[in-house]
Amino acid sequence: MISLPGLKHNTGKTLMTHAVLLTYTVIALFPILVIIVNAFKSRKAIFKDPLALPSLDSFSLAGFEQVLGRADFGLYFGNSMIVTLISLFFVLLFGAMAAWALTEYKFRGNLFLAVLIAMGIMIPIRLGTVSILNLMASLDLVNTLTALVLVYIAQGLPLAVFILSEFIRQVPKELKEAARCDNVSEYKIFFTIILPLIRPAMATVAVFTMIPIWNDLWFPLILAPGESTQTITLGVQQFIGQYVTDWNAVLSSLTLAIVPVLVLYVIFSRQLIRGLTSGAVK
Amino acid sequence: MSQPSSIQRRFPWHILFFLAPGLLIYVTFSVYPLLDTLWLGLFQEDETGQRFFAGISNYKTLLLDAAWSEPFWNALWNNTKFFLIHMLVQNPIGLFLAALLSSPRLRLSNTYRTLIFMPTMLSVVIIGFVWQLLLSPIWGISEGFLYSIGLGQYFDAWLGKESSALITLALISVWQFVGIPMMLIYAAMLSIPDDLIDASVVDGSSAWQTFWHVKLPLILPTIGMVSILTFVANFNAFELIYAVKGALAGPNFSTDIMGTLFYRTFFGFQLQSGSITMGAAVATLMFLIILVGVMLYLFVVQRRMKRFQL
Amino acid sequence: MADVKLSNIKKSYGDTPVLHGIDLDIKHGEFVVLVGASGCGKSTLLRLIAGLEDISSGELHIGDQQVNALAPAQRGIAMVFQSYALYPHMTVFKNMSYGLKIAGKGKDFIDAKVREAARILHIDHLLERLPRELSGGQRQRVAIGRAIVRDPNVFLFDEPLSNLDAALRVKTRVEIGKLHKELGATIIYVTHDQVEAMTLGDKIVVMNQGRVEQCGSPLELYQHPATRFVGGFIGSPKMNFIDGKVAALGGDHIEIQLSNGCRSRACVEAGDLKVGDPVTLGVRPEHIDERSDAGTMLSGDVTLVERLGEASFIYLTLSDGTEIVVRGSGESTVTTSEHIKVSFAPHNAHVFDSNDRALRRLKAGNVHSTAELAQLKAVGQEAF
Ligand SMILES: Nc1ncnc2c1ncn2[C@@H]1O[C@H](COP(=O)(O)OP(=O)(O)O)[C@@H](O)[C@H]1O
Ligand SMILES: [Mg+2]
Repeated sequence: MISLPGLKHNTGKTLMTHAVLLTYTVIALFPILVIIVNAFKSRKAIFKDPLALPSLDSFSLAGFEQVLGRADFGLYFGNSMIVTLISLFFVLLFGAMAAWALTEYKFRGNLFLAVLIAMGIMIPIRLGTVSILNLMASLDLVNTLTALVLVYIAQGLPLAVFILSEFIRQVPKELKEAARCDNVSEYKIFFTIILPLIRPAMATVAVFTMIPIWNDLWFPLILAPGESTQTITLGVQQFIGQYVTDWNAVLSSLTLAIVPVLVLYVIFSRQLIRGLTSGAVK
Repeated sequence: MSQPSSIQRRFPWHILFFLAPGLLIYVTFSVYPLLDTLWLGLFQEDETGQRFFAGISNYKTLLLDAAWSEPFWNALWNNTKFFLIHMLVQNPIGLFLAALLSSPRLRLSNTYRTLIFMPTMLSVVIIGFVWQLLLSPIWGISEGFLYSIGLGQYFDAWLGKESSALITLALISVWQFVGIPMMLIYAAMLSIPDDLIDASVVDGSSAWQTFWHVKLPLILPTIGMVSILTFVANFNAFELIYAVKGALAGPNFSTDIMGTLFYRTFFGFQLQSGSITMGAAVATLMFLIILVGVMLYLFVVQRRMKRFQL
Repeated sequence: MADVKLSNIKKSYGDTPVLHGIDLDIKHGEFVVLVGASGCGKSTLLRLIAGLEDISSGELHIGDQQVNALAPAQRGIAMVFQSYALYPHMTVFKNMSYGLKIAGKGKDFIDAKVREAARILHIDHLLERLPRELSGGQRQRVAIGRAIVRDPNVFLFDEPLSNLDAALRVKTRVEIGKLHKELGATIIYVTHDQVEAMTLGDKIVVMNQGRVEQCGSPLELYQHPATRFVGGFIGSPKMNFIDGKVAALGGDHIEIQLSNGCRSRACVEAGDLKVGDPVTLGVRPEHIDERSDAGTMLSGDVTLVERLGEASFIYLTLSDGTEIVVRGSGESTVTTSEHIKVSFAPHNAHVFDSNDRALRRLKAGNVHSTAELAQLKAVGQEAF
């Protein structure tokens, strides 16, 4: 909103703006903080004074000990890491390659393929779950991380192709033409000229690809619910389902799931928000 | 590549090389399963597990047979409410926050943005548990909070009551995802030229009039996009309900939405065993609902809004 | 009546001062042009007058009211933006009527106002179009129309012609001049283009780095630039500057020893200059004659000749390396790398002291004035 310059209530207005935004920020953060803070308290302190910070008396790591003893959070975390990073790598690579092919070359069926891929942005892959499960069963991939990786690549590709195409279209024609005049192969043009140029867009795509994969419950629950292939989201869900009444354990497991994401978010928030607001996604 | 044979063109291997890997995975694990699901919805299984073609009888059962249609219409109606609450609460709040954030020369704007967006980054499942704890009468933290601001008598076990469970869940989801409309609308507002706002100030309009007559019409396409994103996400939702209320979407199915109905139909629950073909039929209906929404957006909403862009 | 009076207006963005105390008196009905290099603070000053920015210190009066704290709409001003700033989602009619609608005027009143303005600007047939369906020139008119319907006492224009192509710019410039006569309102017009300034302004304010360098009629600025900056800024091609030292003081002139070894006479008041003080001699290209001995003689090598038809610009390098430009006749036969002699009359010389302040000229204007101004305008036209 505009502040009319020179008017007395200008500062009042700014103050109001800050008050509202600050209030909403508290609303957004408070619930998460309450969980994290209470994870470090003894059971008694959790109930007696939920809003207090842990003190010398009330400080306790009992919850974390239980969680780490009863469930293999290290394994879950590793599984999530593996699935997310491998899927991400292939979404970026295959996405960039397909985006390049679809924007650079004219061939029969080009438009059809472009539309087919664009549909994937809007139509959730989840709707095909029945057949995906059949397919994975017949490929003998149920309860493997490979099944998750394959599905997540298919899930991430459409948006990746869409965003990267926009960027590839902006690469000046002269660059490619100069290379072709020097008889550089199409493969080399892509890998040595185009890929480095669209790196900023890759960062945006990476964020949009990674978050849904890391946070997904549906496919891990259906395709890989086995103890050794659980992802962190599924692991926490199952763990909490089992130990609902053990407040220390529940709070600690939630904290274990929240904190790594928050740390990563704080580190990468700049890029992420730039990606979101850059207009690359319209 | 239909060239006359006089110019012997080499087969464009490079195009195949670039397209094949991505396309292969996408078609195998996204397009094919979706089409196969639509097809499967037309079959039924007998006791021995033998599949036979059954036409639209699954859909007849689903829409007309009371044992099936009641849960279906219930889930659809709940899902619609879930969506409407997002549209009426999440997007206006997002718009309001975006408008505040785009105040000229506002300090700390980046910090607010980053912090308000934070819950969006977390898993829906985690958020579900967080609120389940916060709203739990056993812990009493919400109750205590309400008492401290003098509204204690209004506290209730909202998540446990048929009348309030769905609304509460929808509001939890709103709380988590308000950052998305905020961010997208904020970006759209930044792209409005400063001169335009100055011009309207010189024309004498108040901050509110500038917002209503100038900014809002110009960000309408973004609001349209936010709406369709909300629609697709809502009719595809599952995790929050599953995490908080389980597959049975209690109490008494009052929080059942399409996603949970699909899951139960497919995997079975309690006494009823799961059915692949019925699950496929539910998925097909979800597909149609989403398709209609997307088409409406593409051909009606987006077309009409394009006009406004310079 | 709406005189505009600026008293010691200052503006800083944070700790960065942008305007350092501007004093200006603008009479009702005057066409005042703010001119200066890009970044010197012209737009900022205009936005302060409009009320789009807070004034850091100083007083602004419009009419007999102090308006520092008034909102833009209450100041009786209207502004035309460089980018036009038309509302892209409104038709031309709605664009023009928006301000009146906000002010709560009646439908008939609005309709009459808009149609009247559209008639004056010849855009009657465009009223139902959206801005994106208009050409650049038409958008420009709509932007002006939006200002006119508000019946302002003061029009503010911020580089309104800079987005138009050359031909349209000249045409619109002429029309804005006519419009001023027709409306009789005060106009404050910002430009970085000195030709626009010279041709449009009743009064020109030359700004440099947040200060008013000089303020006066076009002819005054041309004949009596108060500083070296103004001397160089007004006129095209630019005034030539040659460094030198005061060699002797006469009654109605001084003698200068130039850096290229020549000795020149200039008809200026010596003030408190002493023999030996460093000065800069300025002389305009159009005041230097090729191959004649009108006064001081300069000689140098021709490095380039630009032939414009009715005149030729001859670029010379003097013996000490100083480069000057001479406006020769269109039929000039001079060619590149020739060594030539040129000269100028003492009454055409400008002299600037070591602080770049001009010494008062004693005979300027009596000799050539009208002819020179006509010539200057002709030069300006060519520049397009
Ligand atoms: N909003 C602002 N914040 C900080 N500096 C500004 C702002 N607006 C203008 N400036 C600075 O003030 C100076 C004058 O700018 P401006 O008035 O736009 O120049 P002009 O219109 O003469 O080209 C420039 O150096 C510019 O960088
Ligand atoms: Mg400017």
